[in-house]
Amino acid sequence: MTSATQPITVLISALGGQGGGVLAEWLVDVAREAGYAAQSTSIPGVAQRTGATTYYVEVHPVPVAALGGRAPVLSLLPVPGGIDLFVASELMEAARSVQTGMASAERTFVVASTSRTLTTTEKMAQGDGRFASDRLQDVLRRHSRRLAAFDMEGAARDAGTVVSAVMFGAIAGSGVLPFARDAYEAAIRASGLGVDASLAGFALGWAAVQAEDRPPAAAATEPPAVAPSSPATAAFPAAARDIVDIGYARQIDYQDVAYADLYLRRLDRILAAERAVDPAASHGHALTRETARFLALWMAFDDIVRVADLKCRASRYVRVRREVAATDGDVVRIVDYFKPGAAEFAALLPAALARRVVAWDRRRQLCGKGPFALALHVRADGMFGHATLRTLASLRWLRRRGSRYAAEQAAIERWLAAIEAAARDDWTCAHELALCGRLIKGYGATNDRGKDNLAHIVDHLAAGGAFAGAVERAAAIRDAREAALADEGGVALDRMLAQHQVPPRAVRPQPIVWTKRRPAPSAPSGRG
Amino acid sequence: MEVSFSNEARMLRRGHGETFHGEGILAITKALLQSGVAYVGGYQGAPVSHLLDVLVQSKDYLDELGVHVEACSNEASAAAMLGASIHYPLRGAVTWKSIVGTNVAADALSNLASPGVTGGALIVVGEDYGEGASVIQERTYAFALKSSLLLLDPRPDLARMVRIVEEAFLLSEASNMPAMLQLRIRACHVRGSFACSDNVAPPMSAKHLLDDPAAFDYARLAHPPVTFRHEKLKSSERLPAARRHIVDNGLNETFGGTRADLGIVVQGGLYNSLVRALQQFGLADEFGTGAVPILCLNVVYPLAPDQIRDFCAGKNAVLVVEEGQPEFIEQEILATLRRQSVATAIAGKDVLPMAGEYTVEALARGLAAFLDRHAPDLPLHAGRAWLAATDARRDAVAEELGAPLPPRPPNFCIGCPERPVFAALKLAQQDVGRVHVAADIGCHSFASFEPFSIGHSILGYGMSLASRAGVSPMMRRRTLAVMGDGGFWHNGLLTGVSSALFNRDDAVLLIFKNGYTSATGTQEILSTPTDAVKEASTQKQESLVHTNQTIERTLQGIGVRWIRVVDSYDVNEMRRTLDDAFTADFAGLKVIIAEGECQLERQRRVKPWRTGLLKRGKRVVRVKYGVDEDTCSGDHSCIRLSGCPTLSVKASPDPLKVDPVATVLDGCVGCGLCGENAHAASLCPSFYRAEVVQNPGWHERLLASVRRAVTQSRPAT
Repeated sequence: MTSATQPITVLISALGGQGGGVLAEWLVDVAREAGYAAQSTSIPGVAQRTGATTYYVEVHPVPVAALGGRAPVLSLLPVPGGIDLFVASELMEAARSVQTGMASAERTFVVASTSRTLTTTEKMAQGDGRFASDRLQDVLRRHSRRLAAFDMEGAARDAGTVVSAVMFGAIAGSGVLPFARDAYEAAIRASGLGVDASLAGFALGWAAVQAEDRPPAAAATEPPAVAPSSPATAAFPAAARDIVDIGYARQIDYQDVAYADLYLRRLDRILAAERAVDPAASHGHALTRETARFLALWMAFDDIVRVADLKCRASRYVRVRREVAATDGDVVRIVDYFKPGAAEFAALLPAALARRVVAWDRRRQLCGKGPFALALHVRADGMFGHATLRTLASLRWLRRRGSRYAAEQAAIERWLAAIEAAARDDWTCAHELALCGRLIKGYGATNDRGKDNLAHIVDHLAAGGAFAGAVERAAAIRDAREAALADEGGVALDRMLAQHQVPPRAVRPQPIVWTKRRPAPSAPSGRG
Repeated sequence: MEVSFSNEARMLRRGHGETFHGEGILAITKALLQSGVAYVGGYQGAPVSHLLDVLVQSKDYLDELGVHVEACSNEASAAAMLGASIHYPLRGAVTWKSIVGTNVAADALSNLASPGVTGGALIVVGEDYGEGASVIQERTYAFALKSSLLLLDPRPDLARMVRIVEEAFLLSEASNMPAMLQLRIRACHVRGSFACSDNVAPPMSAKHLLDDPAAFDYARLAHPPVTFRHEKLKSSERLPAARRHIVDNGLNETFGGTRADLGIVVQGGLYNSLVRALQQFGLADEFGTGAVPILCLNVVYPLAPDQIRDFCAGKNAVLVVEEGQPEFIEQEILATLRRQSVATAIAGKDVLPMAGEYTVEALARGLAAFLDRHAPDLPLHAGRAWLAATDARRDAVAEELGAPLPPRPPNFCIGCPERPVFAALKLAQQDVGRVHVAADIGCHSFASFEPFSIGHSILGYGMSLASRAGVSPMMRRRTLAVMGDGGFWHNGLLTGVSSALFNRDDAVLLIFKNGYTSATGTQEILSTPTDAVKEASTQKQESLVHTNQTIERTLQGIGVRWIRVVDSYDVNEMRRTLDDAFTADFAGLKVIIAEGECQLERQRRVKPWRTGLLKRGKRVVRVKYGVDEDTCSGDHSCIRLSGCPTLSVKASPDPLKVDPVATVLDGCVGCGLCGENAHAASLCPSFYRAEVVQNPGWHERLLASVRRAVTQSRPAT
C-alpha cells in the first residue's frame, strides 16, 4: 500500500456567463502566490451564455518549497466522493452534481445558492412545471458534510457584481483552502476590473458561508392581498372564507355588487351540496373552497374591458416602474401590445350580431386570408393611449349585453351543475370536477381549448362513461385534467380518453394552405 | 470580435527566465513560437479556438517575428496551407476541432502525407471527446493510421505539453511525416505554469522572403506514378525513422513500479487520471510512483515495437489504457508481442469500457477487474469500498429526488437574432403544415432543443441544403434547410447552393446572417460588418450586418433568382416570407436571409458605450420588456414560442391563481421578440415594452410629469 497525500479539491458548478472562468483563474493565482501547486480545468460549454458549466480546481496541500523539486500529479477530472468543497451558483445544478455522486456526507462542504434559474422544460409547462426546491435542498443537506445555502444571485445583485465574486467569497469563507482572506482579495485587486463591486460581492459570500446552514430564502413574491371580510360572505365556513372573500371582492371590482352576489348564490349551491355529501366536513370544505377559487377566476373572465381596466390603473404604472428598476429621475415610456380579433369585438355585441361578425371572419380565413385582428401598440403612459384605455374600461355595462357574457355564464352553469350532480353521490368526484376549473385560462384559442376540454370532461367523464365506481370515475377526471395540461395539442388527453372508451374530442378546423410541390423540371445533362 | 486577448498576448512575449501562467491551449501557442514556426493557420472551434484568436490579435508581435497567421475559411484550406512545408524548410502549424475538422481536411491531409514534408508540419487538433463535447464521438487516431501521420497525445502537464510540441517539429522533420497533436477538452483548458524559453524568429519567413521557388521535383507531387513510391516510403523509411527518433529522444516516458510482473501502457493524455485511479486503491503516491510500472505514450502513433516489447517482456500482464473505439493501440500491441513471441497477457477493452470518456471512476473499475485477474494478492478493498459507496449514493439521490432532473441544454443567448426566426417557423407551420427541416452546425442547432424541437437531420457544417437533396424529390411539400453564415462560408455555398442550382432543385434555404461564426466564439468572416461601420454607428445596440452585402451579391452572382432579406426580429414578416417560400410558384432555389447581428457582439459593444454615457451624465434609453402579472393567466404559451432565458415564471401574486405567471427577469436586452410574438401569435395582452430614459432632458421630464399627473390621477378601484 502506498499512501498518497490527497489534494484539496474544489468543484464549481455555474451557468454560462457567470464568470466561472475568472473565478477558477483567481483561485489558481491565490494558490500560486501562496506557494502551492495548483491546477484548474473546466468544461466551459459553448460560447452561449446558458447551459451548465463546471470548473475543477486541485491544490496540493504541501507548499512547493517542501516538495524537494518533485511535482505532484494533479487530476483534470473530479472524483466522485473526492470533493472537499463544492460550490454551485444554482440550486438544481447543485443537485445535479450531487446526483452524479460528486459530493459526499463524509467529505464535502457544499455551498449552494438557493436561487433557481428555471430550465425551459420547467417554464414551458401549461400548468406549474417547477421542480420542488425543498426536495433539491434536502438532497444537498443529506449528502454534504456541511451545507451553506444562500441566495447568491441576490447577493451579487446587491453588490452590483457577477455571481462569481460571491462564490469566490464563499470559497474563501469556507476555510477549506489554507489561504488568508487578504490573499483572495489581493487576487481580485490584481485582476483590476470592477474591483470594488467584486470585493463587495466577495464580502457577502464570505459572510453568508460563515453563518451556519440556513433555511432557504423564501421565493420573491409580494404577500397575497387579503380582501377584508365582507358580511356578505359570513355564511361560509372559515376553511373557505378567505378565498370566498377574495372572489367576492374580485367580482365587484370586475363588474358590480349584483354580479358578486350571483357569485355567492352560485357558491351557496355548492356549499349546500358539499354539506349534504360531507356533513362532518371531513374534507375541510375543500370542495367549496376550490370551487370558490376557480369560479371567481372564471366569472371575472378577461375581455377587452377588463384588460383595459387593469392596464390603466395607477397601481400598474407604479409596478412597471418598479419592475424595470427605474429611479425617480428616470422617464419611463410604456408600450402595450394589443391584438383584438373579431372574436374579442363580437364578445361585446349581442348574440345575433356577434354570430355575423364571427361568420364573416371565418369566411375570410377560408379564402386563405389570416383571421381579422387589429395589431395595436398603445402608449399606456401617453395622454391618448391612457384615454383610450379609460374609455374601454368604462364599457362594463356593455359586457352584460355581450354574447360572450351569455356564453360564459352558460358554460359556468354547466360546470357547477355537474359538480352538484357529482356531489350527490361522491365528494371526491365533485372535488376533482371543481379542480378542473384550472383548465379555464388564457385568451383566444387557448381559452377556447380550455373550455372545450372542460366541457368534454363534464359531458363524458362526470356523467356517462363506463366506470366500475366513483373512485374510478374520480381518478379518470383527475387524469383527464392532468392530461389536458400536459400538451397544447391535447395528444395526452386524447390518449387518456381513448383508454376509458370515451368519445374523442371534436377536431377544431385549422385552415392550412396546401401547396403540392410540382415534379422537378427535367434534370440537367450530366457533367463531362 | 469584441473579446480582447491582450493579457494572453502579453504571455506569448515572455522569454527565457520568465514563467508562463495560463491555459493549455495558450501554452501550446507559445510552444509554436518557441519552435520557430513560419506560418500558422486553422479554423476555429472549441476547444482550440483560442490558439487562432490570440495569434490573430497578436499580429503586431508576429510581424516582428515574421510569422504569418491566417484564419482559413475551413479546415480543408488550413490543411492545404501545410503544403508550404513540402518543398521548403518552413515550419508550419494549423489547428482545428476534431473529429469534424479532420474529416473536412482529409483530402488535403492525404495529399500532404503522401509526398511528405521537409519543414516540420504540425496539426493541433482539439479532441472533442467525452464530457462537454459537441460533435460525433470518433477518434482522430484513424486518420493518423490511414495517412501515416504522427499522432502525439502529451501528458497534460504544461511543461511536458510544450516540450512535446517542440519535439513534434523535430520528429516531423526527421521522418518527413506531418504530425498531429491531440488535446482533449480539459487539457486545452488546464491552467498551470511552465518555464519559458525565447521565441524563435524563423530563418525563412514573412520577413525574410524566399528568393526563388524550389526546383521542379515530380517526387513531391501527389500524383501517379510517384504516389506508389510514396506508399512504399511510408513503411520502408518514414515510419522506421520516426520510431528511431521517438526512442532515441525519450518522447515516451516510463515510470517505475515495485511490481515488475505488471505494467500499464497509457495514452499520455490519460496519465493523470490513471494515477488518480491507482491512488484510489493505494497503488500510487502523490507523485505517481507506486506499485505498477507505467509506459506513458506521449506519441501514440507510430508505436515503437522494440519499446513495447522491452516494456512488456517478462511481465505476467499489461493493461492497455486507450480511450474510445476501436482499440487501435491495443490491437497493435497484441500483434507486436505475438510476432515477437512475447507471452505477456494483454488486457484492455475487455476490462475497460469500449466507448465513452475514461473518467477516474471508469479507470478504477477497469483496474479493479484487471488486478483481480492478474494480481489478486494486492489489497483493493479501499478502492472497492469507494466504488460501492459511490453507487449507493447515486441510487440514494435518485430515490430522494423522486423524479429525473429536467435537462439544461445550451440555449440561444438573451436577445439572440435566431430565436425569433424559429418562432416564426413554428407559426408558419400552422399555415402550411409541417415541414422537413434540414438543420446544420451552429447556434441555430439549439432549435433542436425545447421549446422549438425543430430539425430532422444534421449532416455537418454547412451541409444542410445538400442534406435535403434526396428528401425534396420524395416529398409532396417543400423542404427547408437552415444554415448560419458561418456554415455558408465554410461549406454551404459550394456543397449546398451550387449543387441545388446546378440540379435546378426546388428548395428553400434560410441563412442566418448574424455576421460571425458565433458558436465558436464570434470569429469574423466575409459577412462581418467592418470596424469602420462599428465605429461610425451612433446607436451601438443596432444590428450592423445589413451594411455587409457579400452573401447577397454572391448568391445573385451564381444565379439565385429568388432572394428575400428579412429582419430576423420581425416575426410576422418572417412568417409571411416563409409561407411565401413554401407556396410560391417559383420552382427553383429560394433563399431567405434572416438579418440580425449576433447579440453577444452587440452587447460587448453596448455595455462600455452605455456606461461611458452614464458616467458623463448623457441621455441613455434602456429598453426592457415586462409582463403584467394580473392579466397573465399562467398558460405560458409565450414561453413555448421563445425560450428566452429572461422570460421565466414566478408564483402568481393572485392568491386565487394556482399556476405561476410569466415574468421578464433582469438581463432582458429589449430585443423585442416578446412583443413581436404577442402580436404574431395573438398570444395575450400581458406584454409591455418599457423604455427607461436615464438622464432625460428638461422638456422630457416636464412632459413626463404632466403625463404622470393625468395617468395616475385615477383612484384605485
